[in-house]
Amino acid sequence: MKKRLFSIAFMFVITLVCTGILMGLSRMSAERIELARQARMQRLVLSVLDMPPAAGATDRDVSRRYDESVRKTEKDGRTIYLGLSPDRKSIAGYAFEVSGPGFWGPIHGMMGVSPDLGRVLGVAFYDHQETPGLGGRIDEPWFRRQFAGKLLAPGADGVFFHFVAPGMHERPTDVDAITGATETTRRLSRFLNTDITDTLQWLKTNKEALAAAPL
Amino acid sequence: MANQSQDSMAILGKALWEENPVFRQILGICSALAVTNLMVNTAIMGLSLIFVTAMSGATVSALRKITPARIRMMVQVLIISFYVIVVDIVLKAHLPDISRALGPYVGLIITNCIIMGRCEGYARSNPVWPSLVDGAANGLGYALVLLGVAFIREVLGFGSVFGFTVMPAGFTRWTIMVMAPAAFFVLGTFLWVANTFAPAKEKK
Repeated sequence: MKKRLFSIAFMFVITLVCTGILMGLSRMSAERIELARQARMQRLVLSVLDMPPAAGATDRDVSRRYDESVRKTEKDGRTIYLGLSPDRKSIAGYAFEVSGPGFWGPIHGMMGVSPDLGRVLGVAFYDHQETPGLGGRIDEPWFRRQFAGKLLAPGADGVFFHFVAPGMHERPTDVDAITGATETTRRLSRFLNTDITDTLQWLKTNKEALAAAPL
Repeated sequence: MANQSQDSMAILGKALWEENPVFRQILGICSALAVTNLMVNTAIMGLSLIFVTAMSGATVSALRKITPARIRMMVQVLIISFYVIVVDIVLKAHLPDISRALGPYVGLIITNCIIMGRCEGYARSNPVWPSLVDGAANGLGYALVLLGVAFIREVLGFGSVFGFTVMPAGFTRWTIMVMAPAAFFVLGTFLWVANTFAPAKEKK
């Protein structure tokens, strides 16, 4: 009986000590983790709005730049990031979230479009579970870069982006697919289409209201 | 002291070769498959494992005289989890990119058989210092094998080493090397080679 009680007491004490230390550590790092998460999102928004922070910019530089030139608005359950022109009097672009199912799990990305809603400013995919080296290459610069400057005009079949084998471009909507990741790009194309169609529609009707709000 | 450092060398030799956890005991294979397509990730994973194995070994050893035998496994798992969560928090706060790349595998260090094996098989019945060395050495044995696997997979799959391109521009990437099955092939080949050169006494 005594032995048993000691076992319970021993386990209790050691658990208490361990969780106590972990709680302290977690509290101490929470702020840092949150800041890193924020800086990452800010970098992302800036880069899809075609206002990329300078190479080697610290999290603090990024944060300052973001505060200066981006306004976040939430309306009708969507979050739109407004990119401001250098004089901060007009809108230089809109950024919004694009996301949907990938091959292994959800893919989250961000897209920036020009103020007239006619062109893509930039795209970035920041959260996904695609196979590293295959579908995972959607977060590589070469893949993201090919979207920048693309016209936001769907082809005859209503699709904004057609993924084709590298070097086989024919239509203005064609972009390089990733070899060995057919499924990833197929799904990407599908959700990009839905999200872009939906958000552009909303932006068209709400553009004035967004511009009228104090920048 | 001389005696002690000799002992440490013996432990190290055993862990790196004669009783290497991956080659000779086929432990910790699950993470060997998952985190070996890029050397940077593998290195961080290896360092994390060295830290966790060494510290859990030392802690289990320090508590070995007062830990009731019947609950020792629970205590070991608790101690291991504690150190793994410490690693996880530190990576999240200081190396967020790598923490994201390793994803769930940091947390899964808890279930890495090497650590539990060292706690139960060594630290439980040995003093603190040798347990610490034994843990670190076994972690190192694991890390080195994984780095070897990662080296082959990264060179052939991405044409680079630690992210620096080493293959000529026209090099065709071996897509298969990037995927999990390649780790089986590479590791299998390693085991074959390692067993061919196995210590002579074992062959008798």
